[in-house]
Amino acid sequence: MRDVAIIGAGMIPFGRRDEDTLMDMLACASLNALDDAGLGDQLVDAVYVANVGGGMLQRQTAIASSLADRLSLLPAAAETIENGPASGASAVKNGLLAIASGYYDTALVVGGEKMHEVDSHHATDFVSAMTHPQAEYLYGITMPGLGGLFARLYMEKYGVTREHLHAVTLKNHAMGALNPYANFKKPLNDKDIFDGPQALVNNPILADPLRLYDLCPISDGAAALVLSTVDIAKKSGRPYVVIAGFGQATDTHTLAERADPTELKAVSLSARKAFAMANLKPSDIHVAELHDAFTILEIAESERIGFFNEGEGGDAVSSGKTRLGGQIPINVSGGLKARGHPMGATGVAQIVDIVWQLRHELPENRQVKNAEIGLTINFGGFANNVLCFILRRVEA
Amino acid sequence: MKTVSAFIAYQCKRCGRMHYPFHDRCMDCKGREFEEVKPQGNAKLLTYTAIFSLPCGFDQRFLILGVAEFEGNVKALGQVKADSVDQLKVGMIVKSSWEPIRFQSGEDVYGLKFEPLE
Repeated sequence: MRDVAIIGAGMIPFGRRDEDTLMDMLACASLNALDDAGLGDQLVDAVYVANVGGGMLQRQTAIASSLADRLSLLPAAAETIENGPASGASAVKNGLLAIASGYYDTALVVGGEKMHEVDSHHATDFVSAMTHPQAEYLYGITMPGLGGLFARLYMEKYGVTREHLHAVTLKNHAMGALNPYANFKKPLNDKDIFDGPQALVNNPILADPLRLYDLCPISDGAAALVLSTVDIAKKSGRPYVVIAGFGQATDTHTLAERADPTELKAVSLSARKAFAMANLKPSDIHVAELHDAFTILEIAESERIGFFNEGEGGDAVSSGKTRLGGQIPINVSGGLKARGHPMGATGVAQIVDIVWQLRHELPENRQVKNAEIGLTINFGGFANNVLCFILRRVEA
Repeated sequence: MKTVSAFIAYQCKRCGRMHYPFHDRCMDCKGREFEEVKPQGNAKLLTYTAIFSLPCGFDQRFLILGVAEFEGNVKALGQVKADSVDQLKVGMIVKSSWEPIRFQSGEDVYGLKFEPLE
Protein backbone atom coordinates (compact mmCIF):
# COMPACT_ATOMS: atom_id res chain seq x y z
CA MET A 1 0.00 0.00 0.00
CA ARG A 2 1.19 3.51 -0.82
CA ASP A 3 1.35 6.32 1.75
CA VAL A 4 -1.44 8.86 1.32
CA ALA A 5 -1.07 12.61 1.84
CA ILE A 6 -3.56 15.36 2.54
CA ILE A 7 -2.69 18.32 0.34
CA GLY A 8 -5.80 20.46 0.64
CA ALA A 9 -8.19 21.40 3.45
CA GLY A 10 -11.19 23.70 3.44
CA MET A 11 -14.28 24.47 5.47
CA ILE A 12 -17.15 26.90 5.64
CA PRO A 13 -18.46 28.35 8.93
CA PHE A 14 -20.87 26.03 10.73
CA GLY A 15 -24.18 27.27 12.10
CA ARG A 16 -27.55 28.18 10.69
CA ARG A 17 -27.09 28.80 6.94
CA ASP A 18 -30.58 29.49 5.64
CA GLU A 19 -29.20 31.26 2.56
CA ASP A 20 -27.34 28.19 1.30
CA THR A 21 -28.54 24.91 -0.15
CA LEU A 22 -26.78 21.68 0.73
CA MET A 23 -25.11 21.74 -2.69
CA ASP A 24 -23.97 25.36 -2.16
CA MET A 25 -22.22 24.34 1.04
CA LEU A 26 -20.60 21.23 -0.43
CA ALA A 27 -19.39 23.17 -3.46
CA CYS A 28 -17.98 26.05 -1.42
CA ALA A 29 -16.04 23.80 0.97
CA SER A 30 -14.78 21.74 -1.99
CA LEU A 31 -13.48 24.79 -3.83
CA ASN A 32 -11.72 25.98 -0.67
CA ALA A 33 -9.95 22.61 -0.38
CA LEU A 34 -9.10 22.41 -4.09
CA ASP A 35 -7.65 25.93 -3.99
CA ASP A 36 -5.70 25.10 -0.84
CA ALA A 37 -4.25 22.07 -2.63
CA GLY A 38 -3.09 24.32 -5.43
CA LEU A 39 -4.68 22.11 -8.04
CA GLY A 40 -5.92 25.07 -10.06
CA ASP A 41 -7.96 23.84 -12.99
CA GLN A 42 -6.72 20.26 -12.66
CA LEU A 43 -9.22 17.46 -12.13
CA VAL A 44 -9.24 14.83 -9.40
CA ASP A 45 -9.67 11.11 -10.04
CA ALA A 46 -12.49 10.57 -7.54
CA VAL A 47 -15.03 12.43 -5.41
CA TYR A 48 -16.35 11.04 -2.11
CA VAL A 49 -19.23 12.91 -0.49
CA ALA A 50 -20.32 12.24 3.10
CA ASN A 51 -23.94 13.08 3.76
CA VAL A 52 -26.70 11.56 5.87
CA GLY A 53 -29.86 13.58 5.39
CA GLY A 54 -30.01 14.49 1.71
CA GLY A 55 -32.74 11.98 0.96
CA MET A 56 -34.75 12.61 4.12
CA LEU A 57 -34.35 16.37 4.59
CA GLN A 58 -33.66 17.82 1.13
CA ARG A 59 -35.33 15.13 -0.99
CA GLN A 60 -32.10 14.86 -2.90
CA THR A 61 -30.14 11.67 -3.48
CA ALA A 62 -27.07 10.80 -5.59
CA ILE A 63 -25.40 13.91 -4.20
CA ALA A 64 -21.87 12.97 -5.27
CA SER A 65 -22.91 12.78 -8.93
CA SER A 66 -24.49 16.19 -8.62
CA LEU A 67 -21.40 17.68 -6.98
CA ALA A 68 -19.00 16.26 -9.59
CA ASP A 69 -21.18 17.89 -12.23
CA ARG A 70 -21.51 21.20 -10.39
CA LEU A 71 -17.73 21.46 -9.88
CA SER A 72 -17.04 20.38 -13.47
CA LEU A 73 -14.96 17.47 -12.24
CA LEU A 74 -16.39 15.10 -14.88
CA PRO A 75 -15.56 12.29 -15.59
CA ALA A 76 -14.23 11.74 -12.05
CA ALA A 77 -15.59 8.71 -10.19
CA ALA A 78 -18.10 9.80 -7.54
CA GLU A 79 -19.84 8.18 -4.59
CA THR A 80 -22.00 9.35 -1.72
CA ILE A 81 -21.07 7.80 1.63
CA GLU A 82 -23.74 7.40 4.32
CA ASN A 83 -22.56 6.02 7.66
CA GLY A 84 -24.54 8.06 10.17
CA PRO A 85 -22.49 10.58 12.15
CA ALA A 86 -19.32 8.72 11.07
CA SER A 87 -20.02 9.41 7.38
CA GLY A 88 -17.26 12.01 7.17
CA ALA A 89 -14.49 9.72 8.39
CA SER A 90 -15.90 6.90 6.23
CA ALA A 91 -15.59 9.10 3.16
CA VAL A 92 -11.97 9.89 4.08
CA LYS A 93 -11.37 6.16 4.51
CA ASN A 94 -12.68 5.51 1.00
CA GLY A 95 -10.32 8.13 -0.40
CA LEU A 96 -7.43 6.71 1.64
CA LEU A 97 -7.96 3.15 0.43
CA ALA A 98 -8.46 4.18 -3.18
CA ILE A 99 -5.15 6.05 -3.31
CA ALA A 100 -3.24 3.62 -1.09
CA SER A 101 -4.24 0.79 -3.42
CA GLY A 102 -2.72 2.60 -6.37
CA TYR A 103 -5.99 2.85 -8.28
CA TYR A 104 -6.35 6.62 -7.99
CA ASP A 105 -3.78 9.38 -7.44
CA THR A 106 -6.07 12.17 -6.21
CA ALA A 107 -9.42 12.36 -4.46
CA LEU A 108 -11.71 15.11 -3.23
CA VAL A 109 -13.43 14.16 0.05
CA VAL A 110 -16.20 16.45 1.21
CA GLY A 111 -18.81 16.14 3.94
CA GLY A 112 -21.84 18.32 4.50
CA GLU A 113 -25.24 18.52 6.11
CA LYS A 114 -28.09 21.00 6.13
CA MET A 115 -29.99 20.10 9.28
CA HIS A 116 -31.94 23.34 9.64
CA GLU A 117 -34.03 22.38 6.61
CA VAL A 118 -36.64 21.14 9.11
CA ASP A 119 -37.82 22.13 12.59
CA SER A 120 -36.11 20.76 15.70
CA HIS A 121 -38.68 17.96 16.25
CA HIS A 122 -38.17 16.65 12.73
CA ALA A 123 -34.38 17.08 13.02
CA THR A 124 -34.46 15.11 16.29
CA ASP A 125 -36.53 12.42 14.57
CA PHE A 126 -34.13 12.35 11.60
CA VAL A 127 -31.15 11.81 13.88
CA SER A 128 -33.06 9.16 15.88
CA ALA A 129 -33.60 7.16 12.69
CA MET A 130 -30.15 5.60 13.17
CA THR A 131 -31.33 3.78 16.30
CA HIS A 132 -32.67 0.21 16.13
CA PRO A 133 -36.10 0.40 14.45
CA GLN A 134 -37.93 -1.98 16.80
CA ALA A 135 -35.82 -2.14 19.96
CA GLU A 136 -35.05 1.59 20.30
CA TYR A 137 -36.70 4.00 17.84
CA LEU A 138 -40.30 2.95 18.52
CA TYR A 139 -39.90 3.79 22.19
CA GLY A 140 -39.13 7.44 21.44
CA ILE A 141 -35.44 7.29 22.23
CA THR A 142 -33.27 10.08 20.82
CA MET A 143 -29.51 10.30 20.48
CA PRO A 144 -29.35 12.67 23.49
CA GLY A 145 -31.52 10.08 25.29
CA LEU A 146 -28.93 7.39 24.58
CA GLY A 147 -26.34 9.89 25.79
CA GLY A 148 -28.31 10.28 29.02
CA LEU A 149 -28.51 6.50 29.54
CA PHE A 150 -24.77 6.24 28.90
CA ALA A 151 -23.89 9.23 31.08
CA ARG A 152 -25.72 7.81 34.10
CA LEU A 153 -23.87 4.49 33.73
CA TYR A 154 -20.49 6.17 33.27
CA MET A 155 -20.98 8.66 36.10
CA GLU A 156 -22.07 5.94 38.54
CA LYS A 157 -19.23 3.58 37.58
CA TYR A 158 -16.35 6.06 37.46
CA GLY A 159 -17.44 8.92 39.69
CA VAL A 160 -17.66 11.44 36.86
CA THR A 161 -19.44 14.51 38.25
CA ARG A 162 -21.54 17.33 36.87
CA GLU A 163 -18.52 19.56 37.47
CA HIS A 164 -16.46 17.40 35.12
CA LEU A 165 -19.10 17.65 32.36
CA HIS A 166 -19.31 21.37 32.99
CA ALA A 167 -15.52 21.68 32.55
CA VAL A 168 -15.81 20.14 29.06
CA THR A 169 -18.55 22.62 28.14
CA LEU A 170 -16.56 25.63 29.33
CA LYS A 171 -13.33 24.49 27.65
CA ASN A 172 -14.93 23.76 24.28
CA HIS A 173 -17.04 26.90 24.20
CA ALA A 174 -13.95 28.96 25.11
CA MET A 175 -12.13 27.46 22.12
CA GLY A 176 -15.17 27.75 19.83
CA ALA A 177 -15.29 31.46 20.62
CA LEU A 178 -11.86 31.79 18.97
CA ASN A 179 -12.75 29.70 15.91
CA PRO A 180 -14.25 31.62 12.98
CA TYR A 181 -15.79 28.38 11.69
CA ALA A 182 -17.59 27.52 14.95
CA ASN A 183 -21.36 27.36 15.38
CA PHE A 184 -21.08 28.89 18.89
CA LYS A 185 -18.68 31.80 19.09
CA LYS A 186 -19.64 32.84 22.59
CA PRO A 187 -17.63 31.85 25.66
CA LEU A 188 -19.68 30.77 28.67
CA ASN A 189 -19.08 31.28 32.37
CA ASP A 190 -20.21 29.52 35.52
CA LYS A 191 -22.99 31.99 36.20
CA ASP A 192 -24.49 31.46 32.74
CA ILE A 193 -25.02 27.75 33.03
CA PHE A 194 -23.90 26.23 36.29
CA ASP A 195 -24.35 28.07 39.55
CA GLY A 196 -25.92 31.42 38.78
CA PRO A 197 -29.58 32.28 39.43
CA GLN A 198 -30.48 31.74 35.77
CA ALA A 199 -28.51 28.50 35.37
CA LEU A 200 -31.54 26.20 35.44
CA VAL A 201 -33.35 28.39 32.92
CA ASN A 202 -30.36 28.80 30.60
CA ASN A 203 -29.21 25.21 30.93
CA PRO A 204 -32.25 22.96 31.50
CA ILE A 205 -32.13 19.18 31.66
CA LEU A 206 -32.77 17.75 28.19
CA ALA A 207 -31.76 14.10 28.62
CA ASP A 208 -31.22 13.51 32.32
CA PRO A 209 -28.54 13.79 33.64
CA LEU A 210 -27.41 15.74 30.55
CA ARG A 211 -28.32 19.41 30.23
CA LEU A 212 -28.69 21.64 27.20
CA TYR A 213 -25.02 22.68 27.24
CA ASP A 214 -23.88 19.07 27.47
CA LEU A 215 -25.22 18.51 23.94
CA CYS A 216 -23.87 19.54 20.56
CA PRO A 217 -26.09 21.86 18.51
CA ILE A 218 -28.00 21.13 15.32
CA SER A 219 -25.82 22.69 12.63
CA ASP A 220 -25.46 23.29 8.91
CA GLY A 221 -22.00 23.16 7.40
CA ALA A 222 -19.46 21.47 5.16
CA ALA A 223 -15.75 20.61 5.14
CA ALA A 224 -13.45 19.17 2.49
CA LEU A 225 -10.04 17.58 1.95
CA VAL A 226 -7.90 16.76 -1.07
CA LEU A 227 -6.00 13.48 -0.79
CA SER A 228 -3.12 12.49 -3.04
CA THR A 229 -0.03 10.38 -3.39
CA VAL A 230 3.05 11.52 -1.50
CA ASP A 231 4.80 12.20 -4.83
CA ILE A 232 2.17 14.82 -5.66
CA ALA A 233 2.34 16.28 -2.14
CA LYS A 234 6.10 16.73 -2.39
CA LYS A 235 5.69 18.91 -5.46
CA SER A 236 3.83 21.55 -3.43
CA GLY A 237 7.09 22.62 -1.77
CA ARG A 238 5.41 23.14 1.62
CA PRO A 239 4.85 20.94 4.68
CA TYR A 240 2.07 18.41 4.20
CA VAL A 241 0.27 15.80 6.24
CA VAL A 242 0.19 12.03 5.77
CA ILE A 243 -2.35 9.56 7.10
CA ALA A 244 -0.11 7.53 9.38
CA GLY A 245 -2.76 5.31 10.92
CA PHE A 246 -6.37 4.33 10.49
CA GLY A 247 -8.72 2.00 12.33
CA GLN A 248 -12.44 1.22 12.29
CA ALA A 249 -14.59 -1.03 14.44
CA THR A 250 -18.28 -1.75 15.00
CA ASP A 251 -20.32 -2.71 18.08
CA THR A 252 -23.89 -3.89 18.74
CA HIS A 253 -26.59 -1.75 17.19
CA THR A 254 -28.41 -1.32 20.50
CA LEU A 255 -26.74 0.14 23.58
CA ALA A 256 -28.69 -2.25 25.81
CA GLU A 257 -27.22 -5.41 24.30
CA ARG A 258 -23.61 -4.59 25.21
CA ALA A 259 -22.20 -6.50 28.18
CA ASP A 260 -20.85 -3.20 29.52
CA PRO A 261 -21.92 -0.15 27.49
CA THR A 262 -19.34 2.02 29.25
CA GLU A 263 -16.52 0.12 27.55
CA LEU A 264 -17.01 1.84 24.16
CA LYS A 265 -15.34 -1.16 22.56
CA ALA A 266 -15.46 0.25 19.04
CA VAL A 267 -13.58 3.36 20.20
CA SER A 268 -10.86 1.31 21.90
CA LEU A 269 -10.52 -1.08 18.97
CA SER A 270 -10.44 1.55 16.25
CA ALA A 271 -7.79 3.52 18.17
CA ARG A 272 -5.74 0.38 18.83
CA LYS A 273 -5.75 -0.44 15.10
CA ALA A 274 -4.73 3.11 14.17
CA PHE A 275 -1.91 3.18 16.72
CA ALA A 276 -0.65 -0.20 15.46
CA MET A 277 -0.64 0.96 11.83
CA ALA A 278 1.16 4.19 12.74
CA ASN A 279 3.52 2.40 15.15
CA LEU A 280 2.69 5.02 17.76
CA LYS A 281 1.20 5.11 21.26
CA PRO A 282 -1.28 7.51 22.93
CA SER A 283 1.50 9.57 24.56
CA ASP A 284 2.89 10.34 21.08
CA ILE A 285 -0.22 12.36 20.13
CA HIS A 286 0.13 16.16 20.31
CA VAL A 287 -3.45 17.21 19.53
CA ALA A 288 -6.79 15.38 19.21
CA GLU A 289 -10.28 16.04 17.93
CA LEU A 290 -12.73 13.71 19.69
CA HIS A 291 -16.43 13.12 19.00
CA ASP A 292 -17.98 15.15 21.85
CA ALA A 293 -21.58 15.05 20.67
CA PHE A 294 -22.22 14.96 24.44
CA THR A 295 -19.73 16.19 27.05
CA ILE A 296 -19.56 12.76 28.69
CA LEU A 297 -18.25 11.30 25.43
CA GLU A 298 -15.13 13.49 25.37
CA ILE A 299 -14.24 12.21 28.85
CA ALA A 300 -15.03 8.56 28.06
CA GLU A 301 -13.23 8.57 24.70
CA SER A 302 -10.13 10.19 26.20
CA GLU A 303 -9.89 7.18 28.52
CA ARG A 304 -10.74 4.51 25.94
CA ILE A 305 -8.12 5.82 23.51
CA GLY A 306 -5.54 5.62 26.29
CA PHE A 307 -4.81 9.31 26.95
CA PHE A 308 -5.84 8.74 30.57
CA ASN A 309 -6.51 5.76 32.81
CA GLU A 310 -10.09 4.57 33.36
CA GLY A 311 -11.89 6.97 35.66
CA GLU A 312 -9.30 9.74 35.32
CA GLY A 313 -10.71 11.55 32.28
CA GLY A 314 -13.00 13.80 34.32
CA ASP A 315 -10.23 15.07 36.58
CA ALA A 316 -7.99 15.50 33.52
CA VAL A 317 -10.45 17.99 32.02
CA SER A 318 -11.02 19.82 35.29
CA SER A 319 -7.29 20.16 35.96
CA GLY A 320 -6.59 21.59 32.51
CA LYS A 321 -4.73 18.63 31.03
CA THR A 322 -6.89 18.75 27.88
CA ARG A 323 -6.72 22.51 27.35
CA LEU A 324 -4.53 24.25 24.80
CA GLY A 325 -1.09 24.10 26.41
CA GLY A 326 -2.05 21.08 28.52
CA GLN A 327 -0.80 17.49 28.41
CA ILE A 328 -2.97 16.58 25.42
CA PRO A 329 -5.09 19.39 23.94
CA ILE A 330 -8.50 17.96 22.98
CA ASN A 331 -11.03 19.70 20.73
CA VAL A 332 -9.09 22.91 20.29
CA SER A 333 -11.54 23.68 17.48
CA GLY A 334 -14.38 23.75 20.02
CA GLY A 335 -15.33 20.21 19.08
CA LEU A 336 -18.79 19.10 18.08
CA LYS A 337 -19.93 20.89 21.23
CA ALA A 338 -19.08 24.39 19.98
CA ARG A 339 -17.88 24.09 16.37
CA GLY A 340 -21.10 22.14 15.69
CA HIS A 341 -22.13 18.78 14.30
CA PRO A 342 -23.52 18.88 10.76
CA MET A 343 -23.47 15.09 10.65
CA GLY A 344 -21.91 14.33 7.29
CA ALA A 345 -19.38 17.14 7.71
CA THR A 346 -18.06 16.29 11.17
CA GLY A 347 -15.54 13.52 10.41
CA VAL A 348 -14.05 15.59 7.59
CA ALA A 349 -14.02 18.79 9.67
CA GLN A 350 -12.12 17.05 12.48
CA ILE A 351 -9.37 16.12 10.03
CA VAL A 352 -9.36 19.61 8.47
CA ASP A 353 -8.76 21.06 11.94
CA ILE A 354 -5.93 18.62 12.63
CA VAL A 355 -4.35 19.38 9.21
CA TRP A 356 -4.37 23.09 10.03
CA GLN A 357 -2.79 22.30 13.42
CA LEU A 358 -0.06 20.13 11.88
CA ARG A 359 0.72 22.70 9.19
CA HIS A 360 1.07 25.30 12.01
CA GLU A 361 -1.32 27.69 10.28
CA LEU A 362 -3.59 28.66 13.16
CA PRO A 363 -3.34 31.88 15.20
CA GLU A 364 -1.31 31.63 18.40
CA ASN A 365 -4.39 31.41 20.63
CA ARG A 366 -5.50 28.22 18.84
CA GLN A 367 -2.24 26.64 17.68
CA VAL A 368 -0.77 23.69 19.57
CA LYS A 369 2.94 24.54 19.57
CA ASN A 370 5.11 22.32 17.38
CA ALA A 371 2.25 19.86 16.81
CA GLU A 372 3.43 17.05 14.54
CA ILE A 373 1.02 14.19 15.25
CA GLY A 374 -2.75 14.42 15.63
CA LEU A 375 -5.66 12.02 16.17
CA THR A 376 -9.37 12.05 15.38
CA ILE A 377 -12.29 9.91 16.56
CA ASN A 378 -15.51 10.03 14.55
CA PHE A 379 -18.32 8.14 16.21
CA GLY A 380 -21.28 6.63 14.36
CA GLY A 381 -24.64 5.69 15.88
CA PHE A 382 -24.14 5.42 19.58
CA ALA A 383 -20.54 4.14 19.30
CA ASN A 384 -21.58 1.27 17.05
CA ASN A 385 -19.33 2.34 14.16
CA VAL A 386 -16.18 4.28 15.02
CA LEU A 387 -13.26 5.48 12.91
CA CYS A 388 -9.90 6.70 14.18
CA PHE A 389 -7.28 8.52 12.12
CA ILE A 390 -3.72 9.41 13.09
CA LEU A 391 -2.10 12.15 11.01
CA ARG A 392 1.56 13.16 10.84
CA ARG A 393 3.28 16.33 9.63
CA VAL A 394 5.95 15.89 6.95
CA GLU A 395 8.43 18.67 6.18
CA ALA A 396 8.75 19.74 2.57
CA MET B 1 -46.77 -2.44 10.65
CA LYS B 2 -46.51 -5.99 11.89
CA THR B 3 -48.07 -6.21 15.37
CA VAL B 4 -45.88 -7.95 17.92
CA SER B 5 -47.94 -9.48 20.71
CA ALA B 6 -45.22 -9.96 23.32
CA PHE B 7 -41.61 -9.20 24.19
CA ILE B 8 -39.60 -11.94 22.49
CA ALA B 9 -35.92 -12.76 22.97
CA TYR B 10 -34.01 -15.33 20.94
CA GLN B 11 -31.94 -18.16 22.38
CA CYS B 12 -29.31 -19.77 20.17
CA LYS B 13 -30.12 -23.48 19.81
CA ARG B 14 -26.44 -24.32 19.43
CA CYS B 15 -24.78 -22.51 22.37
CA GLY B 16 -27.68 -21.16 24.42
CA ARG B 17 -26.75 -17.47 24.23
CA MET B 18 -29.72 -15.12 24.59
CA HIS B 19 -30.20 -12.27 22.13
CA TYR B 20 -32.39 -9.21 21.98
CA PRO B 21 -33.08 -7.86 19.44
CA PHE B 22 -33.06 -10.56 16.75
CA HIS B 23 -29.82 -11.44 14.96
CA ASP B 24 -29.59 -13.76 11.96
CA ARG B 25 -26.48 -15.40 13.44
CA CYS B 26 -25.53 -15.99 17.07
CA MET B 27 -23.10 -13.36 18.32
CA ASP B 28 -20.97 -16.06 19.96
CA CYS B 29 -21.07 -19.31 17.93
CA LYS B 30 -22.64 -17.96 14.68
CA GLY B 31 -25.45 -20.52 14.89
CA ARG B 32 -28.48 -19.68 12.75
CA GLU B 33 -31.30 -21.38 14.64
CA PHE B 34 -33.01 -19.72 17.58
CA GLU B 35 -35.78 -20.56 19.99
CA GLU B 36 -38.18 -17.76 20.86
CA VAL B 37 -38.44 -17.09 24.57
CA LYS B 38 -40.69 -14.62 26.34
CA PRO B 39 -38.93 -12.90 29.26
CA GLN B 40 -41.64 -11.77 31.67
CA GLY B 41 -42.12 -10.45 35.15
CA ASN B 42 -39.58 -8.46 37.08
CA ALA B 43 -36.30 -7.04 35.85
CA LYS B 44 -33.44 -4.94 37.24
CA LEU B 45 -33.19 -1.30 36.14
CA LEU B 46 -29.64 -0.71 34.87
CA THR B 47 -29.88 2.91 33.74
CA TYR B 48 -32.53 5.50 32.91
CA THR B 49 -33.09 8.97 31.52
CA ALA B 50 -35.86 11.50 31.07
CA ILE B 51 -35.87 13.22 27.69
CA PHE B 52 -37.47 16.61 27.27
CA SER B 53 -36.91 17.13 23.54
CA LEU B 54 -39.00 14.45 21.93
CA PRO B 55 -39.09 13.26 18.32
CA CYS B 56 -42.18 13.53 16.13
CA GLY B 57 -45.04 11.30 17.24
CA PHE B 58 -44.86 12.02 20.96
CA ASP B 59 -47.30 14.64 22.20
CA GLN B 60 -46.13 14.96 25.79
CA ARG B 61 -43.76 17.11 27.82
CA PHE B 62 -41.22 14.43 28.66
CA LEU B 63 -40.60 10.71 28.41
CA ILE B 64 -38.75 8.48 30.87
CA LEU B 65 -36.85 5.57 29.36
CA GLY B 66 -34.73 2.89 30.94
CA VAL B 67 -32.71 -0.23 30.23
CA ALA B 68 -33.61 -3.24 32.38
CA GLU B 69 -32.16 -6.72 32.65
CA PHE B 70 -34.40 -9.79 32.79
CA GLU B 71 -33.47 -13.21 34.08
CA GLY B 72 -31.28 -14.97 31.54
CA ASN B 73 -29.18 -11.88 30.76
CA VAL B 74 -31.71 -10.32 28.38
CA LYS B 75 -31.47 -6.53 28.42
CA ALA B 76 -33.90 -4.18 26.73
CA LEU B 77 -34.97 -0.56 26.49
CA GLY B 78 -38.45 0.31 27.68
CA GLN B 79 -40.60 3.23 28.75
CA VAL B 80 -40.68 3.75 32.52
CA LYS B 81 -43.93 4.47 34.38
CA ALA B 82 -42.82 7.21 36.75
CA ASP B 83 -43.59 10.88 37.26
CA SER B 84 -39.95 11.81 37.70
CA VAL B 85 -36.47 10.29 37.63
CA ASP B 86 -36.36 11.15 41.35
CA GLN B 87 -38.45 8.01 41.89
CA LEU B 88 -35.81 5.82 40.23
CA LYS B 89 -32.42 4.44 41.13
CA VAL B 90 -29.98 2.17 39.37
CA GLY B 91 -30.40 -1.44 40.49
CA MET B 92 -34.03 -1.18 41.56
CA ILE B 93 -36.51 -3.91 40.60
CA VAL B 94 -39.13 -3.02 38.00
CA LYS B 95 -42.21 -4.93 36.86
CA SER B 96 -42.40 -5.33 33.09
CA SER B 97 -45.52 -5.24 30.95
CA TRP B 98 -46.36 -5.14 27.25
CA GLU B 99 -48.47 -2.07 26.58
CA PRO B 100 -49.05 0.66 23.98
CA ILE B 101 -45.94 2.83 23.75
CA ARG B 102 -46.93 5.15 20.92
CA PHE B 103 -49.70 5.80 18.41
CA GLN B 104 -48.64 5.46 14.81
CA SER B 105 -50.53 5.33 11.51
CA GLY B 106 -53.87 5.18 13.30
CA GLU B 107 -53.08 2.35 15.69
CA ASP B 108 -51.35 1.62 18.97
CA VAL B 109 -47.83 0.26 18.81
CA TYR B 110 -46.98 -2.08 21.71
CA GLY B 111 -43.73 -2.37 23.59
CA LEU B 112 -42.08 -2.80 26.98
CA LYS B 113 -43.00 -0.71 29.97
CA PHE B 114 -41.28 -0.85 33.33
CA GLU B 115 -42.96 0.06 36.63
CA PRO B 116 -40.84 0.62 39.75
CA LEU B 117 -41.71 -1.81 42.54
CA GLU B 118 -39.91 -0.05 45.41
